[in-house]
Amino acid sequence: MAVKAVEDLKERLAGIVGETSVNDDRNDLLQYARPDGDGHLPTCVVRPVNPEQVTALVVLANETGLNLVPVSSGPPHARGGTAPESGAVMVDLSAMDRIVRMDRRNKVAIVEPGVTFGRLASEASKVGLKALMPLLPRQRKSVLASYLEREPIIIPKYHWDATDPLLCMEVVFGTGDMFRTGSAAGPGSLEQQWEHGEAQKNPMGPGQTDFGRLVQGAQGTMGIVTWGSVKLEVMPSEHRIYFVNDSLERLIEFAYPVLRRKMADEFLILDGTAFATTMRGGAAEIGDLAGRIPGYVLVLGISGYEYFPGERVTYLVNDMADLAKEAGVALTRSAAGVDHLEAERALSGPSGEPYYKHRMKGGSRDLFFLTTLDRVPAFTAAMESLAQEHGHPVGEIGTYIQPIQHGRTVHLEFDIYFDPGSAKDAARAGGLFSAAAKACQEMGGFFSRPYGPWADMAFEACPDTVDALLKVKRVLDPRGVMNRNKLCFKEA
Amino acid sequence: MKPEELQKLPPEVYKELEEVVGPENISEEPALLDGYAWQPTFNSSPDLWVPRCAAAVLPGSTEEVQAVVRICNKHNILYKAHSTGWGTFNAVKAGGIVLDMRRMNRIVEIDEKNMYAVVEPYVSGISLQAELLSRGLNCHMIGAGCGASLLASATSGVGDGWDGISMSYSPRNVLGVEWVLPDGELLQMGSLGSHGTWFSGDGPGPSLRGAMRGWCGAFGGLGVFTRVAVKIFNWPANGDHRSEGLMFDYLPPLPENLKVFMVVFRDRGSFAEGMYKIGEAEIGYIQCRNALGMILGGALPRFQRKLPGVPAMVEMLKSMQFCLTHIIAANSPRELAYQEKALRAIALDSEAFVLDMGQLPLGGLLFWGLVKDSLPPLIFRIGGQFSSVFGHDETWDSSILLNRVGQEIKQKWIDRDGMIDDLADNAWMFLQEDGMWTHCEELILYDPREEKHVRSVNNAIAEAMISAVEHCQGPGFMLLNPMVRRMLSPMMSHYNFWTKKLKKEFDPLGLSDDVAYCSEEDVEEADIDLENMTFDIPPEELARIFEERISVIPAPREMAQ
Repeated sequence: MAVKAVEDLKERLAGIVGETSVNDDRNDLLQYARPDGDGHLPTCVVRPVNPEQVTALVVLANETGLNLVPVSSGPPHARGGTAPESGAVMVDLSAMDRIVRMDRRNKVAIVEPGVTFGRLASEASKVGLKALMPLLPRQRKSVLASYLEREPIIIPKYHWDATDPLLCMEVVFGTGDMFRTGSAAGPGSLEQQWEHGEAQKNPMGPGQTDFGRLVQGAQGTMGIVTWGSVKLEVMPSEHRIYFVNDSLERLIEFAYPVLRRKMADEFLILDGTAFATTMRGGAAEIGDLAGRIPGYVLVLGISGYEYFPGERVTYLVNDMADLAKEAGVALTRSAAGVDHLEAERALSGPSGEPYYKHRMKGGSRDLFFLTTLDRVPAFTAAMESLAQEHGHPVGEIGTYIQPIQHGRTVHLEFDIYFDPGSAKDAARAGGLFSAAAKACQEMGGFFSRPYGPWADMAFEACPDTVDALLKVKRVLDPRGVMNRNKLCFKEA
Repeated sequence: MKPEELQKLPPEVYKELEEVVGPENISEEPALLDGYAWQPTFNSSPDLWVPRCAAAVLPGSTEEVQAVVRICNKHNILYKAHSTGWGTFNAVKAGGIVLDMRRMNRIVEIDEKNMYAVVEPYVSGISLQAELLSRGLNCHMIGAGCGASLLASATSGVGDGWDGISMSYSPRNVLGVEWVLPDGELLQMGSLGSHGTWFSGDGPGPSLRGAMRGWCGAFGGLGVFTRVAVKIFNWPANGDHRSEGLMFDYLPPLPENLKVFMVVFRDRGSFAEGMYKIGEAEIGYIQCRNALGMILGGALPRFQRKLPGVPAMVEMLKSMQFCLTHIIAANSPRELAYQEKALRAIALDSEAFVLDMGQLPLGGLLFWGLVKDSLPPLIFRIGGQFSSVFGHDETWDSSILLNRVGQEIKQKWIDRDGMIDDLADNAWMFLQEDGMWTHCEELILYDPREEKHVRSVNNAIAEAMISAVEHCQGPGFMLLNPMVRRMLSPMMSHYNFWTKKLKKEFDPLGLSDDVAYCSEEDVEEADIDLENMTFDIPPEELARIFEERISVIPAPREMAQ
């Protein structure tokens, strides 16, 4: 963009958010680019502080054809969902960081985009509630961004539907019009609804359309969310972590009845490498621990609540032990020297630094998709075979299996670790990543939230879905001002 | 000619449709078509009929549905599909054709491990459940009863049911969907579209389940759904559960580790507190609050009619007004012991008492009636017809508020002999998803042969809607009415503006009948008998309520221009 045009643009943006909230310093802009250096830098970044400013920005984009890219989490932005096109204006929402409401009785909070998991968990715990978290989110990961991306939470019994734990939202559509989804839509303002006992808990609608679902998973291509209500759960009065370390096949056999009965809280399966990266800090310790773990580790939590917490935990442990016996596995309080207290600490908050996926080699290419539990072994075998073909050590791939929707589906993730300082290592990881993505897609892995090049692959498989999504896009962002060229919304 | 002016299909159109479905699967015989026009439920018109459709077509496959829809698009014919077809919202506008989906009645797949079943439109809850129970599985059943289509409530209707505490709500139980769009194109949503698998309905990218339906569905206003994968759930009982005899004349045993209780709360306040505790304790499989007036009327309708003449009995029953039926379905004796102990402790803390209904003769009937969802038709025994207001899904506190408001409105009309006296408070209420949110609707029982009743019920429904708005509660089922959508959309973020735009994108010719979906109607145009409305709310009060509840969200800019 020409210098004068940039200055004109900055002036107009400053008229909305204030001069100090518009920035085009290159060093500042670098944090929004892909960490691997691919792609573009945005023209500038704006930092609105309220929904009115967000609305004005989108209205301006409609008038001028700007490309707005909303972003809430801090760097790095590894997946590329917010990677800017040339000329883009980043709308950094991290300054909108209020917890608008914390409602103990109805187990719900309203948060702005800048609220991180650490903050939400801390505030929720003060009233006896807990935040529903993905596996070790980054310290600066936005709660709303994570939920909008349908990232899996680690407690499948609280994951009833794909939208969970996100409930209602306030969103500025790509048209520049504000909207509230679910029961937050009205009648009445938030304050009036609170007076009458409502708490923005019903995510559906309003009426005959579920607008929230059209915004979720959209990577900011439909609009900008300015707050959301999120489910919280009761902090258990008693909580215990158990491990089951065995072959993947036996763990799956054990997992099905436990998931069906909604017996466990935390419930995730990790291979030795992934387990070690979540539980240990340094590369040497990780290598040592991973080497001592045969097969996979199922980490599960059992909780007791206000009424007879000990008795609840006891019956669940005993019932689970019966199921474990049937499956030929054993529940233990430690796995390869990692005891339950360490796991409890590790899983109870965001990742420490460095980010757990970067602990082994400094970088990671993350491939994830949805499938069902019984299909997982075929994918892990294929991944192992592909790693060997590409000369990537199998021990430098972390495998994470997260049941969601009570176990009907699993999020299967392969984290391919590499040394970002080594071009050769990075290229090898990239090659494996691309080959594995293609292979997993061909095997039926469902890329429900695809990023970057996966998106092309995922959408090529479903032209009918693309046609329907384009119809939705024409309604909510007819001028295509939101995060251009992402997903299937490519410019002609 | 406008589609709605068509009374009979042109012969060439009839022939085209006949070639698709075969002569035995299409009809324009008046006597047969009147079978579709008899719709007494949720019908505010005293004559209980809806307009006769121009023809009824019975497609037998997705391909036939597509062909029929394409013919409708080619010849500008209105259409609406229905599955089990219960309620006036199944009626197509005059001149349209009905797609009766009864030939598509297969359970396509049951994936026991991954807990979903794929069904066609005419698979009812009870027919799938019959296949599931012996496999240790169960499915969500809706308040309309076990004979209602699973697909309809999942894709197009509403979908609350008393198993909501453990089995959620129909729209939340949807995975892959096969959808014939209003122009006849096929959309396979989620993993179905990408790989032919049914386990996910969301993505890639934004979930088109959001366009398919919201709190409620399009009721036939957005094409035709031909197959859907619905979640299925744990059923912890073993063995064969056959019973001999007919309703009210059998004593089926309860399975091992399953129990049914009545929990009677002292008052509305203790009911409110106790239910929050039950939700947080994560206990329960099926539960609902059905008022005693409802239970009594369903079982003994003649006695119920005489009840107002026995004031002592009325007082006694009212002392048990807040009565919860609660089923525990445990996977082991240990779990049963824990859940029962927790339930009893919560009752004690909430000033409630617990009856183990399994120890009483009617316990088995109550238990299986709830599990199999066979009780809902009993509602017709009392006066012949019922209506329902609110249909609200939010916090338990807000459900409790509506419970009180509904009772006040109804009592007034009962006192005027405008509806059947069911002790006024007949709210159907329960927790959803372990109390994450809740459901409340107020049932109104009446005799459709009584003109006074019909008039009063329409008044009560209108008052309930206004009261819901006043108390910041969603208007629920009233949003199926074009006039209500026109009135309330500005109070609800102007939602219908956006829904109409989606409709236009997906159905540019507007042929998938949208009367219960997004069309709007002015009060002056609506088919209501304003002269016979005897609103107790003064016009200035009504204006104040509506004014105060106008959305804080500005009207869409395109609307304002």
